[in-house]
Amino acid sequence: MSVPTRPQGAPTPLPPLPLPRSPGSQRGKSPKKKRVNESVRTWRTTDRIGYGMMWAAGLLLCAIGIGILAFMAFKGLQYLRPDLIFTHPTPEVDQSKSGGFLDPLIGTVLITLIGITVATPIAVGAATWIVEYGRPTWLARLIDSGIEIIAGTPDIVIALFGLVLFQQGIFGWMSFTAAGGAVFGRSFLTAGAMMSLIALPMVFAATREGLQSIPAHVREASYALGKTKAATIRRVLLPSVKANISTGAALGMGRIAGDTAIIVVLLGASLTLDPQGNVPGLNVLKGTGGTLTSYVYNNSPAGEGNAPQKAYAAAFVLLLIVLALNFAVDLIARSGAKTGLETSRLGAR
Amino acid sequence: MSSVRLLRVSVALAVVGAIAIPASASAMPVVTMSGSTSVAPLAALLARAYLKSHPNAVKFKLAQGGSDVGIADVAAGRVSIGNSSRDPKSSDPGGIFFNKIAKDGICVITNPGNPVANLSQAQVKAIFGGQVRDWSDVAGSNISGAIDVVVRTAASGTQDAFQKIFLGTTSVTGAASQKSSNGLIQNAVHTDKNAVGYVSLDFVTGTNAAAYNGVACDLRNAKSGEYGGVRNFWMVTRGKPAASSQTAKFIAWASSSSAAQKIVGTHWVPLQ
Amino acid sequence: MLDRLREPWTDRRAGLLLGALACSVLAIIVFMIAFVAVKAWPSFSHNGLSWFSSKGNVDQQLDAMVNSGPNPGTADYQLGAWPLIYATLLTTGFATFFGLIFSLFSAIFIVEFAPEPIRRLIVPIVRLLAAIPSVIYGLIGILVLAPFVGDSIISAQQKSSVQFVIPLSGTGLLVASLVLTVMITPIMIAITVDGLHSIPRAWKEGALALGVNRWRAMWTVTVRAARPAIIAGAVLATARALGEAIMISMVAGSKGFSPNPLDGVTFLFEPIRTLAATVVEDAESVNAPAMQASLYAMALVLLVGAFFLSLGSWIAKQPLKKYGTRS
Repeated sequence: MSVPTRPQGAPTPLPPLPLPRSPGSQRGKSPKKKRVNESVRTWRTTDRIGYGMMWAAGLLLCAIGIGILAFMAFKGLQYLRPDLIFTHPTPEVDQSKSGGFLDPLIGTVLITLIGITVATPIAVGAATWIVEYGRPTWLARLIDSGIEIIAGTPDIVIALFGLVLFQQGIFGWMSFTAAGGAVFGRSFLTAGAMMSLIALPMVFAATREGLQSIPAHVREASYALGKTKAATIRRVLLPSVKANISTGAALGMGRIAGDTAIIVVLLGASLTLDPQGNVPGLNVLKGTGGTLTSYVYNNSPAGEGNAPQKAYAAAFVLLLIVLALNFAVDLIARSGAKTGLETSRLGAR
Repeated sequence: MSSVRLLRVSVALAVVGAIAIPASASAMPVVTMSGSTSVAPLAALLARAYLKSHPNAVKFKLAQGGSDVGIADVAAGRVSIGNSSRDPKSSDPGGIFFNKIAKDGICVITNPGNPVANLSQAQVKAIFGGQVRDWSDVAGSNISGAIDVVVRTAASGTQDAFQKIFLGTTSVTGAASQKSSNGLIQNAVHTDKNAVGYVSLDFVTGTNAAAYNGVACDLRNAKSGEYGGVRNFWMVTRGKPAASSQTAKFIAWASSSSAAQKIVGTHWVPLQ
Repeated sequence: MLDRLREPWTDRRAGLLLGALACSVLAIIVFMIAFVAVKAWPSFSHNGLSWFSSKGNVDQQLDAMVNSGPNPGTADYQLGAWPLIYATLLTTGFATFFGLIFSLFSAIFIVEFAPEPIRRLIVPIVRLLAAIPSVIYGLIGILVLAPFVGDSIISAQQKSSVQFVIPLSGTGLLVASLVLTVMITPIMIAITVDGLHSIPRAWKEGALALGVNRWRAMWTVTVRAARPAIIAGAVLATARALGEAIMISMVAGSKGFSPNPLDGVTFLFEPIRTLAATVVEDAESVNAPAMQASLYAMALVLLVGAFFLSLGSWIAKQPLKKYGTRS
């Protein structure tokens, strides 16, 4: 009988040592271990106060979060009927008896699509330039701070800016030029253009992080094979940050869907979609309309719609849409992005 | 040229052409309206009825934004009609013409827990002007406590009308809180026992509408003319519109035809 | 020309195109600042530095502007916006201060101490809260929180003590600040958690190995090292608090009033209105030149505030660069 021998020169394996495991490092990987010598009572008072405050903060956060969501779900489901989602709003003084919010729902979808379609190319282009080219450096830093300023600008300022800007004559093609010669200035196209400013910082930051996290050797390999920088960007880098761009775009869409001030000022706040002109498709874009956010605002006590039940129902649907977008971010992030955007880091506003 | 290239070029041309073609290529004239949020529901109903009785004559576009926005828009030529729930002011831009189309009642409201039955004009002036501060000093109120006066912001047509009709020369007390919509006043009065405010006739649900000078505030009294607190709804145009224009036809229909008056009569006060 | 477009692009052409896109962003922001500044200039030129002071009832000044018509004189531009600025500082300061404490402790809880089932619950909750639009917060504030405060917390005696000046009805500084805190906390929590996760575990384990207890190790090592991320989160949240308009206009009482701290507890219930809320509420009168200049002046102040926030965060992060962690 031959005894199994170890190959010559192989070291004898050591028995596993009971190494002390740091309490936080085995998170989620093993069943809970009984903690030894870890009694809060042995700590200093300041530490105990901190520990207590921390637990209080955590539980309070849970309570507030669950409270808000449960309240919105309860009220929303109480007033939401399926026909609300599929009927057009009808103008009645007593809004609680008339129509649904199909048009505002379509409006939300439209505005989000326009906003993100305008924002993504610009943001991706700017991020690529900053990461791959970035000369002169002062210009790159300036653009960086510029985008940070846009991220910090209140949406009402952007709305006011857009309102007066798009009432100038050269932008007449974006909305509607009245018989008197003046430009109306309020349409899906104009509101969408301003919404793109809202989403821009998110897509920009996500793309930039993605590009920065691509290791240098990938680029160097591409150059070594004789590709130009432009080709590298187009064929190697951008395809690999597709997940990051999608994450940023989804975050931006969440922010656009939730914005109210720009809609109220720049979309004309009409109850139904009001197409403008004759070209099918384009006439809707050039026309006015509403979104779920302006619908909720109008039907809440702050507006004139006088129908808080509809406001709750629409708010619930809006919440579902935004949650779905967030869920999409999660899926995309888990499937590919390596950027640390796992928690909605850029804070969908 | 290759077929792909031909396709791309033609698509590009089509998109550019579609954007550039002016809206005037449409055959139907368009009447655009913007302005007061109080007039908007009435304007929408009237537009719908007009389209039913005059099919294919005109297209309507209705936006909102407030009486001031409507007046400014029409003065600048951005819209055909500006809806206004306030009377003309000296500070309005020149060259505009006010067409009355309906009237609307304004009710003074209190909390249901403070069911004041009647307020005379003198009482309203004293309460909103700040001379009377406590509910115990108000005849007809059985509660006591500081009076919380709730009014509209200065840009509101309802505030303008209230000032002119109810208060005359008395100015609103500086202690009043200003809300930007009927709904916010209704909500404030509904939730605060000591509150008093004024809203358009449609917003009195959940509150107690006090009679004014002995006349109850409801649609019947407003229509019969007994109720004094009635304000005007206007459709403002740039100058007097030509009689053949769709704008003029619509306004004439809205202010005089019986079909229009019937619609107005559902929630507002018709002119006749 | 189309042929040339279909050739492989040179680096230079690609660089120029991308650079043009990047510069267009810069151009938009510069244009926006310039535009707002130009529109705001009349208000500042007529008021000078007294624009920032308190000149009496700011609501009456704004009302006068609405009625001033198309050719306003110098007297029509008069505005002392201090009550609005003060209200903005109060709400933003309150929300940022309490939000920072709350979010820091919550983040530590999430990262280190939460039992697994609670952690699985809290992380989606934080993400959900961050995604809720502000109009829904306003709805909850005005339909639930404000009546509760007005009926159950404010006493009749407090109401009568200030009745000659302002009404106390629930909507006011307290409700606005509370809702604002809840609004900005999820952002701070998300970024802080990110920052805490990115600190190498070995640093904290070194402290644990030396016998420090878990809380202290977390606090003195990880939190200290994650300060750049915490500051970044706080800046982002403060910028949002500064610009929040719709929610504030619904729940803060809509009165241009400077709450007086000497009033004691009543101070918390006094109605206010911030700069951004004023812009939203008066946006419908933007066509009156005097009002337009004032609103754009307020917008400019908010823009400059956001700019200084960015600058401040950059300055605050400089001494922390040695930690080398991504913020």
